Amino acid sequence: MTLLKEFTKGFIKENPVFVMALGLCPTLAVTSSVVNAIGMGLAATFVLVFSNIFISLIKDFIPSKIRIPAYIVVIASFVTIVDMVMNAYLPAIHKSLGLFIPLIVVNCIILGRAEAFASKNNVFRSILDGLGMGLGFTLALVVIGGIREILGAGQFLGYNLFPETFQPMLVAILAPGAFIVMGLLMGLMNLKKKK
Amino acid sequence: MKYYLKLGFILFIITAIASGVLAYLNTLTQPIIEENQRVAQEQARKEVLPSAITFEEVVGEITYHIGKDAEENIVGYTFVASLYGYSSDVKTMVGVNPDLVIEKIKIVSQAETPGLGANCEKQEFQAQFSGMQKGGMLVDKDGGTIVSLTGATITTRTITNSIKTAMDKLDIPTEETKEKEKDK
Repeated sequence: MTLLKEFTKGFIKENPVFVMALGLCPTLAVTSSVVNAIGMGLAATFVLVFSNIFISLIKDFIPSKIRIPAYIVVIASFVTIVDMVMNAYLPAIHKSLGLFIPLIVVNCIILGRAEAFASKNNVFRSILDGLGMGLGFTLALVVIGGIREILGAGQFLGYNLFPETFQPMLVAILAPGAFIVMGLLMGLMNLKKKK
Repeated sequence: MKYYLKLGFILFIITAIASGVLAYLNTLTQPIIEENQRVAQEQARKEVLPSAITFEEVVGEITYHIGKDAEENIVGYTFVASLYGYSSDVKTMVGVNPDLVIEKIKIVSQAETPGLGANCEKQEFQAQFSGMQKGGMLVDKDGGTIVSLTGATITTRTITNSIKTAMDKLDIPTEETKEKEKDK
């Protein structure tokens, strides 16, 4: 597989959310607005890239029997780093993502890429994979978050799009809306693939 | 047996390095985080009691701050009212004048339902509380004048009640108690 493909495969072809259906819990939870979606996506991308680098570096030292706990420790450490650094330097975003940052630890995309990719490939390819998958995850979050924010609050990135008289579709911003929007988007992706 | 000891040893090394790095980063970020929280609190206090220049902390059943102007006159008090709403602790910074009439309130933290209870962060909602006293503070459903956010009135009632409870617990020395203390 060429390097470019290694990077771009996460965008559409192997999109973690729409195609592999990984990391759905944070996807459903944080996509009530685009700002949250971007913040969560970038934080997860950061963790993904660095855990991929580390796991690719130490893959030869870790006996396969204890590889999963070792990966979890690496991932959890980077999540904690993101949590502390964001809290110190980006308190506003940290406040709105609050609870979801620790959830990156159990985001299956990150453990999934560590197990399926970084533990079998060199560092450079692992960086590309992590970056591509992370951005693909961010893209999916932004698309879902954008649709939900426009329908559910009549806003995009916090700016009002419609006149005062617009009655937002509240359900879109609540939990059921997340399922409905994600289901429809997954259906569309599958429909396109069949053709 | 030896093999399993080796596995444990490798895991030990990984976790030891990880906790070392985290401990170091914690010492770097902890002071900044605390400073951020202090600044945010300070700003919230200034916002709900704009006429005050300095604040003096009084620790009690509910910790409150005495707001003073440039001439050291007491212009009011600020305190944080907190109560569990529909899905989170709703914390409200309240500023009152010396007669315990609300100057302004500001929701400082909440995680209520987006689009419903979370609208309590909107200015129009918070502005309703300005000028209210403990007695007159009632949600429209209970015969008051505070327009609730939703039909269920959970968040609105939570905020109203939290402010009332906090006011009850406030141990602000009023003119009467001051006189009594003088007599002693």
